[in-house]
Amino acid sequence: MSARKRNILVKHLFTLLMVLILPVAGHNAAAQTVSVRAALDSTLMVIGGQMNLTLQVNQPADLLVAFPHLTDTVTANVEIVRTHARDTIRLDNNRLSITQMFTVTSFDSGLHYIPPIRFEYIEREMQSSAQSNSLALMVVNPFVDVDPEKGFFDLKEPFNLPFIIKELWRFRYWLLFLILLAAATYGGWYFWKNRKIPLKEIFFKEQPKEPAHVVALRELDRIKNNKIWQTGQIKQFYSQLTDTLRKYMEERYHFPAMEQTSHEILQTLRKTDLPDKKLYEKVERVLNTADLAKFAKYEPLPDENDMSLITAYFFVNQTKEEEMLTPEEAAQKSVDNEKAEELTSEQKK
Amino acid sequence: MNQTVDIKELNERIKQESSFVDLLTIEMNKVIVGQKHLVESLLIGLLSDGHILLEGVPGLAKTLAINTLATIVDAKFSRIQFTPDLLPADLLGTMIYSQKNEEFVVKKGPIFTNFVLADEINRAPAKVQSALLEAMQERQVTIGDKTYKLGEPFLVLATQNPIEQEGTYPLPEAQVDRFMLKVVITYPEKHEEQAIIRHNLAQVFPTASKILKPEDIIRARKVVKDVYMDEKIEKYIVDIVFATRFPESYKLEKFKDMISYGASPRASISLAMASKAYAFIKRRGYVIPEDVRAVCHDVMRHRIGLSYEAEANNVTSEEIISEILNTVEVP
Repeated sequence: MSARKRNILVKHLFTLLMVLILPVAGHNAAAQTVSVRAALDSTLMVIGGQMNLTLQVNQPADLLVAFPHLTDTVTANVEIVRTHARDTIRLDNNRLSITQMFTVTSFDSGLHYIPPIRFEYIEREMQSSAQSNSLALMVVNPFVDVDPEKGFFDLKEPFNLPFIIKELWRFRYWLLFLILLAAATYGGWYFWKNRKIPLKEIFFKEQPKEPAHVVALRELDRIKNNKIWQTGQIKQFYSQLTDTLRKYMEERYHFPAMEQTSHEILQTLRKTDLPDKKLYEKVERVLNTADLAKFAKYEPLPDENDMSLITAYFFVNQTKEEEMLTPEEAAQKSVDNEKAEELTSEQKK
Repeated sequence: MNQTVDIKELNERIKQESSFVDLLTIEMNKVIVGQKHLVESLLIGLLSDGHILLEGVPGLAKTLAINTLATIVDAKFSRIQFTPDLLPADLLGTMIYSQKNEEFVVKKGPIFTNFVLADEINRAPAKVQSALLEAMQERQVTIGDKTYKLGEPFLVLATQNPIEQEGTYPLPEAQVDRFMLKVVITYPEKHEEQAIIRHNLAQVFPTASKILKPEDIIRARKVVKDVYMDEKIEKYIVDIVFATRFPESYKLEKFKDMISYGASPRASISLAMASKAYAFIKRRGYVIPEDVRAVCHDVMRHRIGLSYEAEANNVTSEEIISEILNTVEVP
């Protein structure tokens, strides 16, 4: 082999060796490299607006890279609003990608320069550092400058848009429904107001109320038949007698006699049109006797008890409201009365 | 007429014992023009051994009324003006050092009298009010280590001004309850006002005569206690008091949220006692529902607690009592 050929062979072998070794050596060199990247969401921002500044570090997994200590500002004109948590991603080649975001803002208009941000680390017992790229942020002021010398002026009125009836077309079914509902409500109200039969009677047949005197006379009959005072129950007798009279007065003259004292009842009666003036005096006597019997252990004579009961009957009969009968009812009643009289006379015979 | 002996006897006794009522009223009317209700309330308080809280604007003869009553009964009278700097010792008395005897001696306060006018009671702080109200209840005062009984009869007439509430110490509910009656005094009628002007311009101020002794009042009080009250009237009183506690049970649902608390059992006792005294004044030996109704407002008006809702709707305790009286069935 000639020297020339040997040199060529050595050259080729060296080249092959380089081809084989260099990628490995290059890989080792790349494995030790720390790269830092800084990026803004946009290069343009309105004054007071916010955007994110992203710092991304690509580093070997076994290397400790110190992040810069950014607290409240990035530069004098760019302020940090919020510091987000760091996000770490493990890459395939035993490297880490650490990302941290900062929400930043600026209140000064103009072009702001963000210088490279330095990240320090220790490699092979030597302090090294990596720098990010520099950034530029343009902060614009969209507002018209207020000139205080021009004085104050009102806020602008809202825009007035003309009303177009066509716009309501899409609500036509709702409008129709509302009109029908209003018509139905009015119809219901009109029917309610002008109804001749009370609503109760549509569903239930109400029993006609017994006239006050009928109830009172029945009650007086009961008191008489039970012979209450005759059995020594004077207080009960007068209580029941006055209660009957008071209930009758309440129904007949429409005043709260049950909640009034004897004196108040008499005052009210004085204002009413009693058929006989003596009737008032008689009722007064009954009520006064009753008060004495009820509240003062007074025991009236038997005649007084009888007289009180008779007065009660007399008062009810004298002041009762006459029943309003239709001609048919009156005729029927007279027939009934005649029959009753005939029956009584036959029985007598 | 076959009348039960007890009541007949009682009626006779009451007619005899109550004969002074007319004389006393005449003497009072000689000095005080109008204010019939005030005079009647004073009598009720005096006869039923209860104290009276008076509410009325100044110049309505409150002081004159109690002064006149003290003169007529020939009793001792003190007027105490309640102020924010008043101390319990100013009212009850205290122990002072006697240099002459080289010992502490008791100096009794103005409360040691028969009739006390506690003027503007709500102007004094709570400790003074408590001292007075305790003496009213216990009828005795302790100074140092000794307890002293108060005189008999002992009637406290406290006044309150319904206006000018700034800087006052309103009486707590528990203490107001100790007053048997709360009487609201209104202005005199036109003709009464005219008579007052005439008396004052002519400088003619009639004076009342002494017609009674304190012992007469004590004796009359015993008779008042004997006035017959039927079971029906007792039930009526209980119904009225219960209607303030449970209005919904008496068809008064509308007041359910308006009454924060109803009348206490002390109200029932006071209503019964005042009704008996009223019957006595009317020279009757038994109580009728009219008597209860006549004193009901004075006995109950300070014993019903109104809720915020009532105040928002301008509902007063007067209206509630009137409505209760119009709703509860009379026996």
